[in-house]
Amino acid sequence: MEILLSSLAAGLLIGMALALVALGLTIIFGVMDIVNFAHGEFLMIGMYTGLFTAQATGLDPLFTLPVAALVGFLLGGVCYYGFIRFLIRGPMVAQLLGTFGLMLFLRNLALLIFGSEDRALHHGLLVGRSIDVGMGVIIPATKLAAAVLAIFSFWAVWMLMNRTHVGKALTATALNPQGARYMGIPTEKMNALAWGIGGATVTIAGALLVNFWSVNPFVGLLFTMIAFTIVALGGFGSVRGAFFAALVVGLIMEFPGFWDFFSYTFDIQWMYDIPMTSFKYTWVYLAYFIIMVARPRGLFGWKH
Amino acid sequence: MRKKINFGFSMVILIVAAALIFPCHAMAAGEIKIGVIYPLTGGAAAAGRELKAGAELAAEIANSVMPDIDMTMAKKAGIQSLGGARIKLIFKDHEGNPTLGADLAKKLILDDKVDGILGCYFSSVTKTVSAVAEQYGIPMINGSSTSPGLTERGLKWFWRTTPHDKWFTKDLFELLKGLKEGKVKGVPAVPAGDLKSIASACEKTEWGSHVSGLIKDLAREYGYTVKKSLLYAAKSADLSSEVRSLKAARPDIMLFASYTSDAILMAKTMKAQKITAKIIWGQDAGFEKPEFRKTLGKDIEGILTRTVFLPKVVDLKPLAGQVNKLYKAKTGNDLGGASARAFTGLQTWVHILEKAGSTKPEDIQKVANAIEIPGKELVVPWAGIKFANPGNEMGQNILGSGLIGQYQVGPDGKIGLEIVYPFDVASANMIYPFKGY
Repeated sequence: MEILLSSLAAGLLIGMALALVALGLTIIFGVMDIVNFAHGEFLMIGMYTGLFTAQATGLDPLFTLPVAALVGFLLGGVCYYGFIRFLIRGPMVAQLLGTFGLMLFLRNLALLIFGSEDRALHHGLLVGRSIDVGMGVIIPATKLAAAVLAIFSFWAVWMLMNRTHVGKALTATALNPQGARYMGIPTEKMNALAWGIGGATVTIAGALLVNFWSVNPFVGLLFTMIAFTIVALGGFGSVRGAFFAALVVGLIMEFPGFWDFFSYTFDIQWMYDIPMTSFKYTWVYLAYFIIMVARPRGLFGWKH
Repeated sequence: MRKKINFGFSMVILIVAAALIFPCHAMAAGEIKIGVIYPLTGGAAAAGRELKAGAELAAEIANSVMPDIDMTMAKKAGIQSLGGARIKLIFKDHEGNPTLGADLAKKLILDDKVDGILGCYFSSVTKTVSAVAEQYGIPMINGSSTSPGLTERGLKWFWRTTPHDKWFTKDLFELLKGLKEGKVKGVPAVPAGDLKSIASACEKTEWGSHVSGLIKDLAREYGYTVKKSLLYAAKSADLSSEVRSLKAARPDIMLFASYTSDAILMAKTMKAQKITAKIIWGQDAGFEKPEFRKTLGKDIEGILTRTVFLPKVVDLKPLAGQVNKLYKAKTGNDLGGASARAFTGLQTWVHILEKAGSTKPEDIQKVANAIEIPGKELVVPWAGIKFANPGNEMGQNILGSGLIGQYQVGPDGKIGLEIVYPFDVASANMIYPFKGY
């Protein structure tokens, strides 16, 4: 039973952090119909930002979030004004290849600057601590903090999108850019803002993740793939969908835990011998595939 | 085309040289050339420096008279049976590249005309270099590569002094057996029912998956159940589901084969998940590296790791202390697993040459196959050196042994490794069971 509960808890916690990773992707797609392949690289930059800020200032990594958010916002803005603005004039293929190129550029830039070795945080207020909540469930403090802060960030973005004029303008730009322009909405700025918010949320997610996840220049791809799955499951462009889909994906990632639970509870010998943890991401990709085939618009999708 | 001509030309030279060398050799007593191939640059450069210093120190001791050192080769200068000939080491850098290693070996044999080869630390490079040595019939001694396969190829010109991974894993099971029999220092005999089940997590490149297989085989042989045997991608960023899976298996013993960053992450995650196992053991590599100790500090107290040489050996073996003093004067560091084994590798060369009284490959081969160096001559805590021949593991030293160290907080408050196996050289009481987090 405790295996089941701890797997559930772990899945939901990581799911909340992943929700924040996927949020930026879904915002950018929702507003601009652009799929950002460099999303994972933004996350990687967020992780490095959190790590180096913490090491340079001696602050706890949790307090580096504002720095990461600022870096992410600027990164998103710069990418938009310097690059994406020109891309969107071209055909869909150009956009895809363009952000793909951005991904390669950022990754190799990071490789040049930071080198290929793994870096991890070993010191911090929460690093290495954990909370025993009973029933055999032990929750690492860093993951709990990441989940709580992710929910908070998510809520803030949701409020921004749904309760403010800027949010309405963003939504209008998403629904009908030309119409929005006629209404006097500065769509160019809105696009940049979408990139800024997208960048900021994902770098915050990176700074949270680096508390328990080591970083190297290649870490982005894994998260890009996971974020794609989440966004596809939740529905492209749906903020609410991304959140619930992320929880589902978090639980899918814990599949090996559920496997263990079944094999021990029912004492099924052949199940012991299958090294399920070696395939932990396989299920995520399988889920992506199934969603794409069975329900391409996802759970909450409103875009075609 | 030019290359071909050069190759042909060098072959002609080789044949001519070979015809001339044999009669000359016995007379040319001045110098014996040993080609030494190590990773002197690249990722393993730090290990390479240690290896080089270890081999150099052995050569210095062999070439001069050092009455304070209690080993035969320190008593006289040079190789007596060859008229006091001195050992000359020719170092080459393989950069961790097996192809480059093979090229360097050819150069050493054809251009430098070495009498023998020592190296190469990386099992992958040792593999290609030993193939070259075999092809040219030049004897090669390997001091520090632990892939078991190296001595399973039936090579006639290859001898390995270090024990390999199969032995090291076996040591662990001997330690477990000793625990139950009450042989472990400071631990009363453990009831057999207390240590029954094993869970292992190994990285999934050649080394880790091989160790994982060894663990399964030996567990069967010694009567343990392997409840879980995980393979994970090396350089993982997150191991939490692996650790939870290990935890779910509720094993008495947890075994790991991990490189440095994974070993650190694994230990951190185990702490966060409050792992409870009675024994936690790492197969050298990451678990023995200074970074592991420096990063995790007292969190690793009680964790075991296999190793070949620890600074503590110095307290037990006066000879190791004498050599360590020289090594420290030379490099500023204590002898470690790499340097001690490189030292022993070259020392073996000296003993073989002394006994052969010749640098003819055939004579060296004959002597190497029959040599017996007693343990009291060595800095490493082995019973001695004697090569298997013939047999399934031709050229493997059968008197070597590993050490198992345990991280303990010393009287100075710092965490360090104490020897718990072999039992007769234990340097401290073993902490059992692992106290948990």
